Amino acid sequence: MLPYPSQSLPFQPVDDAGPDDSGEARAPVAGLHLRAALDGLEAGLVTFNRTLDILFVNSRLRSMLEIDPAVAGGVGSLLMLMEASAVLSTTVVQQVHEACQGAVDTRTPQEVTLAAPGARFFSLRVGGLVDRHWMASFTEVTAQRTAEAQAVERAKCDPLTGLLSRTLFHDRISVLLDTGPDHEPTGQPAADPPHPVRHAVMAVDLDRFKSVNDTLGHSTGDGLLCLVARRLRSVLRQHDALSRLGGDEFALLVSPAPDRTVLDQLARRITDVIGRPYLVDGHLVNIGASIGIAVFPEDGATRVELLRNADLALYDAKAMGRSTHSFFRPEMDARAVARRLIEIDLRKALALRQFELHYQPQIDLERHAIVGFEALLRWRHPERGMVSPAEFIPLAEEIGLIVPLGEWVLNQACLEATHWSEPVTIAVNVSPYQFEDTNRLVEAVGRALSLSGLPGRRLEIEITESVLLRNAEPVLAALHRLRGMGVRVAMDDFGTGYSSLSQLHSFPFDKIKIDRSFVKDRDDDVGQNAIIRAITALGASLGMATIAEGVETAGQLERIRDGGCTSVQGYLFSRPVPVAQVAGLIAGYNQFQPTPAY
Amino acid sequence: MSELYQVIYCSRNRIPGAPDTVSENIGGILARSRENNARDGVTGGLLFSDGCFAQVLEGPMEAVTAAFERIQCDERHGEIVVLQSGPIAERHFADWSMAFTGTRALGAGKVAGLGLSDTLTTRSGGGDTVLGLLRSVVVRETEWLESV
Ligand SMILES: Cc1cc2nc3c(=O)[nH]c(=O)nc-3n(C[C@H](O)[C@H](O)[C@H](O)COP(=O)(O)O)c2cc1C
Repeated sequence: MLPYPSQSLPFQPVDDAGPDDSGEARAPVAGLHLRAALDGLEAGLVTFNRTLDILFVNSRLRSMLEIDPAVAGGVGSLLMLMEASAVLSTTVVQQVHEACQGAVDTRTPQEVTLAAPGARFFSLRVGGLVDRHWMASFTEVTAQRTAEAQAVERAKCDPLTGLLSRTLFHDRISVLLDTGPDHEPTGQPAADPPHPVRHAVMAVDLDRFKSVNDTLGHSTGDGLLCLVARRLRSVLRQHDALSRLGGDEFALLVSPAPDRTVLDQLARRITDVIGRPYLVDGHLVNIGASIGIAVFPEDGATRVELLRNADLALYDAKAMGRSTHSFFRPEMDARAVARRLIEIDLRKALALRQFELHYQPQIDLERHAIVGFEALLRWRHPERGMVSPAEFIPLAEEIGLIVPLGEWVLNQACLEATHWSEPVTIAVNVSPYQFEDTNRLVEAVGRALSLSGLPGRRLEIEITESVLLRNAEPVLAALHRLRGMGVRVAMDDFGTGYSSLSQLHSFPFDKIKIDRSFVKDRDDDVGQNAIIRAITALGASLGMATIAEGVETAGQLERIRDGGCTSVQGYLFSRPVPVAQVAGLIAGYNQFQPTPAY
Repeated sequence: MSELYQVIYCSRNRIPGAPDTVSENIGGILARSRENNARDGVTGGLLFSDGCFAQVLEGPMEAVTAAFERIQCDERHGEIVVLQSGPIAERHFADWSMAFTGTRALGAGKVAGLGLSDTLTTRSGGGDTVLGLLRSVVVRETEWLESV
């Protein structure tokens, strides 16, 4: 049926009355007021005759389809009119033409949706009027179509696993929390007062998934995710919702939630079943799962809170070690807030010049002289005072701040060292993260040297063995380039990793720094001493100097000296001091030569 | 036909209860296994010893993978350790949708002194031993069947 009653439609004079013209009274020529009314309609209108010649075009159509004003005078063919539109493509013009021709030929109304370029949509309806005239009406429906498309998108599941998408999962929770039943759905009358149904959100993260993806490829990784999805499904009840939020993150909604003991069992069951071996594409794969649990209403009253707290619990689980689960506890929130605050401050600290370097002397045991200093980073927080590096370095590494921070340390240490009276070395720690972009690191060292004018041989960079374990080849290449600039390279924390000894052969280190754990007094001094002696002997055979750090007592010094170390560093000689005290330290120490201060 | 594939794993029994209950349960597992495996072209052997299972599964890779995956989701055992997995040239248990051998009492006794529990704890070796043992049992039973 036509939506427009013919009586209300005025026409311009029609010169083409067909041979089978019914002879009914023609519609009156449009009065000005009617014309204005037609122009004001939401719909774009054009009327035409049997041969598709235009009779009338309202101004709405011209603006909607951006019809060239030169053509839009209201005469000519419908096809010409449509072709003059800046909005419609040739294909769409063709569709319009076919719909109009179809209405004329079949004498039945036509309705099509036109998809114009730029994701614009128009609904076109063509129908007959009296006097063998036809009308095409255009309405733009882009907004509705977009909304529908979004709704369809939202309804879509994760194409890989068939699980709920993140949006759908969020919707599920919202529905439960906002409009869900207030009473236990047991069919029994609600207790008085009614207590709300509890819902549990579990955030599940796979451990070691990334390495499967990296070593066996994405298609195996995808296959594994599908198996994980199936295993998760197999332990859940039919009505529990399961979602893949993205990557290797899954989440489930257990509703109504059983008590904590049962949730605990469920979490154990999940870590168990996900931790069992997989066969994917003929490969044997082992992964694990960490789980964080938050329960409505006690752990969060809203969806956002619940999901965030499940995530906090997940971090906690991951921090505890692999393949375990944690329930949310309020103090996790406090810890996260504290961390977030310190993170905000940390990001600003570099710009606000809140970092400073302290220097701890390194003493050569043979020459009884200060031969170098280790630069140690300190953060002087305006309210917290000195923040321990143990607290902010891991955070800086996590948020990617370590690279610019490490570069600042290099620059600052080189610059300050040029002002010292003795040409002692300056040892700077380089984070494994800085080795992720070896080019940037080598350039940063080069820049620090050229800006300060410090000779390369006075700079010593300290690396830990983990650097070499991660990505040996580019790292070794970078170390050789640094060596090319004269820079010395020391292996830090020696003896703490499992492969320290084999790493020594991979690069001609200048120095081995024996970890403080071997210096500390223990019951088994004999064993400790044997290790120290073995390291120094090995160092000597490879032409590497050895330094012991953390030397605090005369007894320890004696052991270290007996062990054959070439130099030492520790509170026994001096704590790390601000740069202003370095000159005094050098002068004072050398003044007491040759009698050592200890 | 797709490439032949084999997995050998062992796992710890988690069926609670008296030996009779365990025995009954294993009977059920075997019946189901034989049905499914015959349908899917999977053959193999199952061993119950020392409170642990050891199983060999062989057949087309997809079928073995699917059976293995179902078995992984089973709560009646746990601590699964794969001893061996990979392509094989021919089946070792061609006539057996699931051969079985176990100690009579199905308690903590060991078949041929095989300490599967140790294998599980140390997570080492054992694939060839399990395979050999299961094969020798299968051979004996086949001979016995033929002699009847
Ligand atoms: C130790 C052990 C070995 C099993 N071996 C098989 C097997 O070889 N084939 C099999 O289909 N199911 C085996 N199952 C049973 C599966 O775990 C699962 O229950 C069964 O395949 C489900 O079959 P259905 O889907 O036909 O019910 C085994 C279970 C256990 C505990």
